[in-house]
This record gives sequence, C-alpha cells and structure tokens, in this order.
Amino acid sequence: MELSDANLQTLTEYLKKTLDPDPAIRRPAEKFLESVEGSQNYPLLLLTLLEKSQENVIKVCASVTFKNYIKRNWRIVGILVEDEPNKICESDRIAIKANIVPLMLSSPEQIQKQLSDAISIIGREDFPQKWPDLLTEMVNRFQSGDFHVINGVLRTAHSLFKRYRHEFKSNELWTEIKLVLDAFALPLTNLFKATIELCSTHANDASALKVLFSSLILIAKLFYSLNFQDLPEFFEDNMETWMTNFHSLLTLDNKLLQTDDEEEAGLLELLKSQICDNAALYAQKYDEEFQPYLPRFVTAIWNLLVTTGQEVKYDLLVSNAIQFLASVCERPHYKHLFEDQNTLTSICEKVIVPNMEFRAADEEAFEDNSEEYIRRDLEGSDIDTRRRAACDLVRGLCKFFEGPVTGIFSGYVNSMLQEYAKNPSVNWKHKDAAIYLVTSLASKAQTQKHGITQANELVNLTEFFVNHIQPDLKSASVNEFPVLKADGIKYIMIFRNQVSKEQLLVSIPLLINHLQAESIVVHTYAAHALERLFTMRGTNNTTLITAAEMAPFVEVLLTNLFKALTLPGSSENEYIMKAIMRSFSLLQESIIPYIPSVITQLTQKLLAVSKNPSKPHFNHYMFESICLSIRITCKANPDAVGSFEEALFMVFTEILQNDVQEFIPYVFQVMSLLLEMHKNEIPSSYMALFPHLLQPVLWERTGNIPPLVRLLQAYLERGANTIASAAADKIPGLLGVFQKLIASKANDHQGFYLLNSIIEHMPPESVDQYRKQIFILLFQRLQNSKTTKFIKSFLVFINLYCIKYGALALQEIFDSIQPKMFGMVLEKIIIPEIQKVSGQVEKKICAVGITKILTECPPMMDTEYTKLWTPLLQALIGLFELPEDDTIPDEEHFIDIEDTPGYQTAFSQLAFAGKKEHDPVGQMVNNPRIHLAQSLHKLSTACPGRVPSMLSTSLNAEALQYLQGYLQAASVTLL
Amino acid sequence: MPVVCKHSERMKKFKNKGKDAAALRRQRVEVNIELRKAKKDEQILKRRSILLRLMDESVSLGEDKSNEIELSLEEIVEAVNGSNTKLQLQATQATRRMLSRQKDPPINQIIELGIIPRLVEFLTRADNASLQFEAAWALTNIASGTSNHTKAVVEGGAIAAFISLLSSPHMHISEQSVWALGNIAGDGPLYRDALINCNVIPPLLALVSPVTPVGFLRNITWTLSNLCRNKNPYPPLDAVRKMLPVLICLLEHEDKDIISDSCWAVSYLTDGSNDRIQIVVDTGILKRLVELMASPELIVMTPALRAIGNVVTGTDEQTQAAIDAGVLAVLPHLLRHAKPTIQKEAAWTLSNIAAGPCQQIQQLITCGLLPPLVELLDKGDFKAQKEAVWAVANFTTGGTVEQVVELVHSGVLKPLLNLLLAKDSKTILVILDTISNIFLAAEKLGETERLCLLVEELDGLEKIEALQTHDNNMVYRAALNIIEKYFSGEENPDLQPGTSEDGLYDFSVEKQDFNF
Repeated sequence: MELSDANLQTLTEYLKKTLDPDPAIRRPAEKFLESVEGSQNYPLLLLTLLEKSQENVIKVCASVTFKNYIKRNWRIVGILVEDEPNKICESDRIAIKANIVPLMLSSPEQIQKQLSDAISIIGREDFPQKWPDLLTEMVNRFQSGDFHVINGVLRTAHSLFKRYRHEFKSNELWTEIKLVLDAFALPLTNLFKATIELCSTHANDASALKVLFSSLILIAKLFYSLNFQDLPEFFEDNMETWMTNFHSLLTLDNKLLQTDDEEEAGLLELLKSQICDNAALYAQKYDEEFQPYLPRFVTAIWNLLVTTGQEVKYDLLVSNAIQFLASVCERPHYKHLFEDQNTLTSICEKVIVPNMEFRAADEEAFEDNSEEYIRRDLEGSDIDTRRRAACDLVRGLCKFFEGPVTGIFSGYVNSMLQEYAKNPSVNWKHKDAAIYLVTSLASKAQTQKHGITQANELVNLTEFFVNHIQPDLKSASVNEFPVLKADGIKYIMIFRNQVSKEQLLVSIPLLINHLQAESIVVHTYAAHALERLFTMRGTNNTTLITAAEMAPFVEVLLTNLFKALTLPGSSENEYIMKAIMRSFSLLQESIIPYIPSVITQLTQKLLAVSKNPSKPHFNHYMFESICLSIRITCKANPDAVGSFEEALFMVFTEILQNDVQEFIPYVFQVMSLLLEMHKNEIPSSYMALFPHLLQPVLWERTGNIPPLVRLLQAYLERGANTIASAAADKIPGLLGVFQKLIASKANDHQGFYLLNSIIEHMPPESVDQYRKQIFILLFQRLQNSKTTKFIKSFLVFINLYCIKYGALALQEIFDSIQPKMFGMVLEKIIIPEIQKVSGQVEKKICAVGITKILTECPPMMDTEYTKLWTPLLQALIGLFELPEDDTIPDEEHFIDIEDTPGYQTAFSQLAFAGKKEHDPVGQMVNNPRIHLAQSLHKLSTACPGRVPSMLSTSLNAEALQYLQGYLQAASVTLL
Repeated sequence: MPVVCKHSERMKKFKNKGKDAAALRRQRVEVNIELRKAKKDEQILKRRSILLRLMDESVSLGEDKSNEIELSLEEIVEAVNGSNTKLQLQATQATRRMLSRQKDPPINQIIELGIIPRLVEFLTRADNASLQFEAAWALTNIASGTSNHTKAVVEGGAIAAFISLLSSPHMHISEQSVWALGNIAGDGPLYRDALINCNVIPPLLALVSPVTPVGFLRNITWTLSNLCRNKNPYPPLDAVRKMLPVLICLLEHEDKDIISDSCWAVSYLTDGSNDRIQIVVDTGILKRLVELMASPELIVMTPALRAIGNVVTGTDEQTQAAIDAGVLAVLPHLLRHAKPTIQKEAAWTLSNIAAGPCQQIQQLITCGLLPPLVELLDKGDFKAQKEAVWAVANFTTGGTVEQVVELVHSGVLKPLLNLLLAKDSKTILVILDTISNIFLAAEKLGETERLCLLVEELDGLEKIEALQTHDNNMVYRAALNIIEKYFSGEENPDLQPGTSEDGLYDFSVEKQDFNF
C-alpha cells in the first residue's frame, strides 16, 4: 500500500463502514481491514488519518483501529509460531516509533489516550533496548511548559512503568528500572517542584489548577511505580523534597478544586489518596529510612480524616487514610504515637465513630438496592468501604490498647443508646452505629460458616443482646425501624456461637416473625439467620437445634418462608430458598402434613422460574427442597411416589421439551430419585421416555452426563427385564452411549458405571451378542490411551464380570479375542495394578473376582497360566492389607452448596438426591478374606497337595503369614 | 577521602554477598543490579578517622610540618621529572598532600600529569626513605579511587615495587605498601590475582608476628581480606590455603577491628561453592565464628553472621557443622536484634537451615527458633520479614507433617497471612506456596476443613480472594488455585467435554492386536 491520497480515501471509506450499525455493511469492512493489516504502510496510513482527516469521527476511529492493530501485531511471535508471521515490516516499525510520541502529544485527549496505550504496548516489547531514545524524547517535553503535552508524557510514562508494581524482581527488570531512574528521576523531581510552584502562582485560576493537579496525580503515581521494587538511591537522597511536598499537599485545600459532585472523587481527593498510598508504601517497605517523616504523616492524615466530610466522593480517600493509620498503629515502634489517652479518645471520637455512621447513601442502598447492600454487609465485600476501614482501625488499635479502646467505646455506645432512647424515631441511626461499634469491637475472628469465632472478652455480648437487641425484635411491628431490625438479626446471626442456646431458642420465633417484614433486607436476614442457626452443631455431630424443639413452630415457619417468597423483590430470593431446604432437612417427618401444599408451591415456583432461569443458587436450593420433600415423604410412605410424579412430571416434560439447559441435569436427578423409590417393575411412563434418553444430543452436553448415567442406572436396576423384552432394539443404542463415554478420558468412569449396571442387571442372553465387542473396545482404550482412572475402573469391571459370569467365562472370552490374552491381562494389568483400586466396594469386588480366578478357573491350575497363580494370590493379599480408606460419616445435612463438587459448572449435583452406595456382592460375600480362605480350601480338596506346594514355592513370607491368618479365622486348613 | 571511596565500594559489594550464595541452597534468583544506595556503615567511618590519625602521626615522624610548600601542577611535573632530589621530595609531598585533602582530591589531574611512572620509580629509592614513603602514600591514594585510577597505578608498574617494599626496613614504608596493595587487591579479581601471581602473600604474611603493632596489623588484615575477596574467578585455592591459618590466628586477636576484618575475609571465602565452604569448615573455625556472632560489637557480629550464613548455604553436612557449632543458640538473639540488617541476615541464615532435611528442621524447633521467627514475621522490618517468609516456606517444603503442625501451632499463620498485603509480588507468591504446603499437610491429617476455617478467621481468605485480581499472573494463578482447591469445593473431574465420535452412537469396534 502506498502512502497515497487514493489509499487514504479508500481507508477512510472502510473505517466509516466499520461504524455502521448494520452488520452486513460493518463485517465486510472489518474483514477488509484485517486482510490489509500485513501490508506495508498500513499503520502509517492510519497515523496520517488520525492526524489529518477532516472528520473527527474518522480520526478517533483511526486511532482506535491503530491501537488494536498494534495490540494484535506488534509482538513478534513468529519466532515461536511459524504460521504467525511478523505482520509489521521493519521500516514501518521504525517510522511508527519515530513519529508516535510527538503525534500523541499534539493530539486531542481522546486520541492521545489511544496513542498512549499504543506506546505502552510497543514499549512493553521494545523499551528500552529497541527504543533507546524514547525516554529522552519524553523527558525533553517536560521543559515545554505545555501541561497538555506534559500530561501526555506522564500518562505514557505511567502506562510504561506501572508494571514495576507487580512484576518479580529480575536482572532484566532492574536494569530497565535503573535506566529509567537515571534518565527520569531527576527531571520528574524538577517537574514536581515546578508544578507545585505553579500551583501556588495559579492558586486563583481554576482551569490552570485542574491541569496542574492532573499532573500532580500522575507524578504521584509515577513515584509509586518507581519506588515500588526497592528504594532507589535517588529517591532516598531526595526524600526530603518529595515527602515535604507530599505532606504539604495532604494539608492543602483550595475552594476552586472542590467539586459539587457528591459521588465522583475530585482531583484533590484523588491526589491525596495517592499520597496516602505512597506514604503507606514507604511505611511498609522502607520503614528505617521513612521513620523521621512518619509521625508527620500520621498527624496530617489524621487531621485530614477529621476534616473530611461524609460524602461518597471522599470514600476512597477516607478508607485509604484510615487503612494507613490501621497499618501503622499495629507496629510496636509506633505504638507511642497512639498511646496517649487523649489521642486514643480523639481517634475514636473523630475518626472511627463518624465513619461508622449510617449514611444517606447506605439508607438508599438499604431500601432501593438491597441485593448490593446484603452482599456488602453480609458477605464481606465491603473491603473499600469506610465502615470496614474504621472496623480495621478498631481491630488494629485493639492489638495494643484493647482495654482503653473498649472503655472509650463503651462510653460512646452508652451515650448513643441514650440518644436513641430519647427519641427513637429521630435518633435510630445512633443505635445503628452503637450496634455496629459493639460488633466491630467484639469480633476478633469470623467465618461464614460459624459467625464470630473469637470475641473480645471485655464486651458482654449476652447482656447487650438481652437489653438492646431482643427488645427491638420483640416489638409489635416488624416493619418499624427496618435498619435496626436488620442490625438485630445480624447480631444474632454473627454472635450465634457466643449467645447461649436458650437465647437462640427465644430468638427463633422472633426470626420467623420477621420473615414477614416488608423490607427485603429484613426478611432476607431473618431467613439467613434461621438457616445458619439450623446448621449449628450440637453434641454428637447432631444439630444444635432439634426437630423436637422446633415442633411448635413448624407450621408458622413453613408458612412464613413460602409467604416471604411472595413479598415484592424476593420471588427468587436464594436466602429464603436455602432456609426452606435447611428447614426441611432439619424438621424431617414433621413436614409431611404440609407436603401437599409445599409441593404445589414448589412446583408452581419451578414452572415460573423455568421460563427464564436467572438465579442459579435459588434454583439449586429449590431442587434440593424438592428432593427432600420426596425422600422424607416416601421414607414414611413409599406409595406416595406416585403423587410426586403426578405433581412434577408435567413441569419436567415442559422443561425437557423446551430444552431448559440449566434445569435438565436437575430433572434427571429428581427422576432418578423417584424411580429408585419404586419397589416394583418400572412404570410405563418411564419406559416411554427411555428412547429419548439415548439421544446423542443429550450426551453432547457434559453437564448432562453424570445425572443421565445415574438415571439410566436406575432404569437398569428397576427395569432391566422390561428393557430386554420390550426395548431390545434399544440395546445397541444403550451400548453406544457406553462407547461414547469410554472414548473420553474425562467420562470413561461414567461409561463403566453404565456398563457395570448393564452386566449386573440385564439378562445375560440379551447382551450375549455384544459381549466380545465390549471387551475389544475396552482393550483398545487400554492399548491406546490408558490412564490410571481407566485401569481402576477396568479392573473393577472385569472382576464384576467374573463374579457374574464365572472365572472360566472370563478366561474364555479373553482368549477368544486373541490367544493367551487372559495371561497377558493377568500379568500386565491385574497383578501389577490391582493395588491402585480404591474404595471399599470396589476393592471387595476385585477381591471376590480374583478369588474366583484363583479357585474356580481350571486353566489356572494346569496350563501355562499356572505360573501366574501365586503372583496373583500375592497381589490379592496385598490388596487386602493396604490401609483402608477412612469412611466419611454421613454429614449430608451439613453440606453447603459451596462444598458440593462442581457447582456452577455444567453439572450441579444435588446433595439430597444422593444415591446410596451400591454393593453388588454384598449379599454373596460378607468377609472377602474368609471367602478367599474357604475358596482355597475347596480348591485344595479338589486337588490335594497342589495348593500347599504352590504356596510354599513362591509366595513371600509376609503374604503367607497373612494367608495363614485368614485360614485360621475361617477355621479351615489346606490339603 | 579517597580511602573512603574504596571502603564504600567494598561495602557495596558485600551488600550483595549473601544473596548470591543463597541461590545454592535456597535456589533463589537474586539480581546483581542494586537500586538502593550503598549504605556507609559506621564501622567504615571510624576506621577512616583512625587511619587518618595514624597517617598524620607517621607524617609528623618523618618530617617537619613547617616544610609544607604549595606547588602548582606545572611545578610538580617539573620537579618530579627533574633530578633534584630535594625538589623531587617536595613535589611528591605536595602531590600526596593534594591527594589527601578532605574534598575532591584531584586524582584525575595528577594522573594526567603523567608522573605515575616517576612516582613508582621513587618507590625503589632505598637511599631516600622519605621519598619512598611520600611516593607510596601518593600512589596509595591514587589507587584508592575508581577502577581507572587503580589501573593507572598498576600500569605504572607499582605492583612489583610495592611488593618488594613490604620487606623495607622502615616499618612506616612497609605499612604504607600494605595499604597500597590492599587498595589494588580491592579493585577486583583481576588485580587481586595479579598480586597473588607476583607472590604477594609470603612477604605479607611474614609481617604478621606477635610484636607487630596493632595499627599495622589492622592494615595487614584488611589487605588480606581484600585478597580473599571477589568472585569470577575466586582467588586461587593455594593462595587461600596459605592465608587461612593466619586469618584463623587473627580471629583470636583481641582487637575488634582485626577480628572484624578477618571475619570479613572468612565471609568472602565462604561465599562460594561448597568446596570453598569445605576448606573453611575443615579448619574447625566455625565454633569461633558462632562465638563472634554473639559479640556485642556490631562490626564483629555482622561479618561473623555473614560467614556462618554463607556456610549454611552449603551441603547438609556443612550446615550440620554450623548447627553443631551452636548457631541455633545464637540466632534467636539476632532475630530480635534492633538493627534491621542483622534481623535480615539472621533470618536469611535461618531460612537456609530450614531448607535442610527434617532432622535439621527438628533441631531448629528444639532450639526454640519458632517463637522468634514468628515474632519477626509479625513485627520485623520488611526486609527481615521477607527473609522470614522464605524461612517458613522452606520449613513447610522440607518439614514433616508433624513439624508443619508445630509451626502452625506456634502462630505462624496470622503474621504470614497478614503479609499477603506486602507490596512485593515475589513475597506474596512465596506465601501462597507456603499456604499450599500447609494445606497439603492438613490434607494428610484430614484437617483441611479446620485449616480452611482458621485461614478464614485470620482474614486470610479475603486476602487470597483479593489476590485473584492481582496484576501478576503467577500470583493470581496461585491464589486462584488455593481458592479453587480448598475454598470452593472439589473440582468436578467431569468438566472436560468428551471426545465426540461422529455424533451417532453406533456400537461397533474393529479388532486389533493387543499387547499391553
């Protein structure tokens, strides 16, 4: 491409088209631009356009296109990836680097930003080696006196240097920083001084001040980057200049820089905030050198806090400033700065208390943006808030001054409570602050699961609870002072482990009552508090609060919970749904009388949300609740399963037909649960669905695989005979699913689950014709891509097969596939790998299967396989004597959604749809060791003398000793 | 003062010392570039004034102060190159005086005069001790400048002349030569080895005797330490073997400056590969070094600690030798030392002991190192905290499950998690690795859940969560790993989509030959 007017014209046309809202016009234009990216001069044409085009929109568009082009292509990956050639030729690269800085500096701000980004991308690759004059070029502009230009340089420098804040120390990095320091530190310092001078000479010129303060902010940011890795010699020598000026900027105020905006931080706030960061950096990393300056900064920052208003725009500054004090007051050698009683009192009074106050903005969030309020208040996403910073400062001060601080605050708490008592409706915010203060003072450690776990012993939590929390919650109106109600409920929730059980029991009806509150925050907190209380552990791993203790409240609890879901704003409230689930799980059979109404409400809810599933947590808990209803009811009355099917199948059908992807895995799990509840032959309604479950489209979605396998297993367990007789033509499809799963390393174990069920439940003759192919398929995987997981599953399967069809059948089918196959599998797979099998049931299957091979397979005794007999026995004894896995106690009640595997991924496993572990040999063999002893005994009776001689020749001593133990336990001897 | 330059140069180099050696045991990559100012230690300032005073004394011994005459550079050149001995002495003296002045000694101008070869020639004038002495002094101060300055002296042929002056019958001349040679040796490995090749060591060592005055002995020790110093390459082994026995005697001297400099020498000798360390260990000097580590004198404690710190970068056996010499009993005090650099060095030493086998870790526990380590982690200077983090990281890497439990019980988690707020990516990453190690131990004990709660209680969880948005890729990945592994339930193994066949599931396979 030549640098011609014609080309400029063409490019202009295409750029214009890329802005077209119609994709039919836009896409081809984008495609075209992409296709010419590799042409020489293309970037220079763009630069020409962004400088000289008549139309502003084209200028901007060219600058954005240019930046994206640089981003995609500047880095030369061609060295590593052959088919990604270098798209920018060397002459273009040189020309870009020669022109971009002046061009950036002379461009209007909108374009300047794009070019500045482009420079930093180029800089990341080329600076400093391949762009040696960049720094000098930038530094020279400092003398220009034009602050538009200077700010452009500073912005670019910032984007080039800010990586020093996070990269690891390395020779390369430090060489670069040293180079930058040598060229940049002195000019930057001079610029800093000059800019501050100018600020005082232009103290009455608002527009000049704005530009100058923008520079100061960038300079302060550059200071942070350049000082991050280590304290450079230059800055140590010039600490006086920088710190003195930073200090005076912290105390500076100028009416012209104050903004009217209440939300957005102004330049002054941004600058001071960055200075707090700079001071905090020095205090943390260069304490030794910074010590002389630190007290001054503490005082300045503290004064800043005392004089800064409550507006939201100051939030970042205030929380940064408080965090600075919090980090300093914990240091032993600065203790003295805070220790004076007057200082402490003044910090408490003027810094902490005011920042704990409930502000208009909080009130607004409480009412209008309750979701955000809850997230911040309950889930701790309040890291940058004032309240949180104040809270951290309390904790920091408590490290050395717990007694005095608690004393000072007790006074404040009392006076705030008195204020409140005088006129609650006007002064309720005082009580809110008092509760917050008590909470932050009392809580030393906290977790989501248990609330506060360590409390300040100087605070009497129960007394405060009885005197100030309970009265609010007992008040006749649940809607009065909603903020205080929420505070009270939160207090119960977080101090649940500090308050006695009696107090908690007294609170439960109060909480249930507050489920009816109109305020979303209040009824949400009530539901959450109940849910948390129900998960508290008592003695013996039971729940602290028992179903019996809840008996008087069951009806009102369920009624209020479901009613809460009808309150405005809470129709998909996950806290309420989780509380429903937890209540069911706690109350168990006492919910049965209410099930008809409950299941109707749940079904309606399900139908409603399936139109547009948007709250994954809510949906998950809803399905968990459905599962619990089914399990609890059917446990007492198995026949009730029919009525659940009646209630649910219609909605399920709709979900399946509309392909509501989020819900399908849940539906399969609920159906599995229902099907497993049936005691007799599979109902025809299920059979009608069977062919649909084999549809490839369902199996293409990973999230469907585990629940679908589970469901097919339930079909096989309950309806194998029906499938064999009425759906024999679907057996290849069923095995096809198995093949599909076995082909994947990720899903092969699911394939084995299915195969095991087929072998275990299908009548042998129905799968006879496929058996050989099944093994060939497995051998193929074994040969081509075996993994430990595959081998483990494979071993379990062949042993299960052996148990079901006999050891001889196993040997015959192996050897029919390929001569001596059986021996090869024994020698190369079973004997060396059997120890890898994990899981009690799995080990048992393998033990019984191998016992059969040893004792019921004639070729093992009198062919060339005989040499494998003792090694196989030894491997079996090894399997027995491996340390057993500890079994996990049944704790499903306590399972949190966050703890269940795979949540938020495609597959959402329902804890309460859980399947009991199935032991296919449970009936047959109780103790596999004894079983081995007995089987060996039987074998030795059939061929006397053989067994002892095989044992004595090659079984190792340790194994022999174990074996003798088994024989003794079984009271048998070998002949 | 020119001499000071030389010393501060030396200090600059020692600042980097331990870090390089640490790589051996800790495999830590450190940089050779320093952004920091080279710190002028108090010890150096004192030594300079002492040396100055000594010089003045010897000056007053040699001549009358009223004789001092100011000469212009031109006059100097003329006189030095002339044949009038008296004028030669006057000019050399004037040169020496200029080079000794407090501020901005005109080293460059003097070199440009081209008189160095003449000054070197004066060194050989055994008939004129005063001239020899003045020339030696002037050359000493020229050699004390930059590398180029030293080079000018060496290229003027001074090495051989100074070495032969070591045996001068005049003690002050011999002493001045020792000093000059020290400056030359201190320039770097090249000149150091040039001196060694010219056989500087035997006459130098011959000067050490019970009757050598302390001041002279200080000079000799310092020069010896410079002959031990620098790497790439290290000083030749046979030279080291010659010097070591004398250095070990000097370590027993009662003068703290002499002890200090001989400690420095030993610290240089131990700052290298394991066979270099072994030579020092074999002398049986570790016990003395550990004793000196506990010295109340900072100038002694600092190099002794550094030497021992270097030894424990060596093999497990070498580290064990230091442990047997009692290093673990001294470290607690040093970890609590008021001076941040001592804290830092002590923590660095500890980190390398913690990098050893679990038996050594056990000794570290038994000797009560955990409480001061945790204290340092909590309240130490940032530089020391960083080293303490490494110590904990190494501990959790090599320690047994029980030892890690012991560490957790000693309260390490709180300060460790607090340091996740450190403004240093590497430190954060090391902490995250350490946390993973502790979790691995907890897993083995089935205590994962309790550890999770503990980490959350100590506000660690929110800090780790916040690190998931850290700009450094490795940091954010490490944080993400911990969160995913321990705080969001197990990963479902079935996330990966299966290898799809052709979309249709027909059940059929081709048979092939199997051979496992």
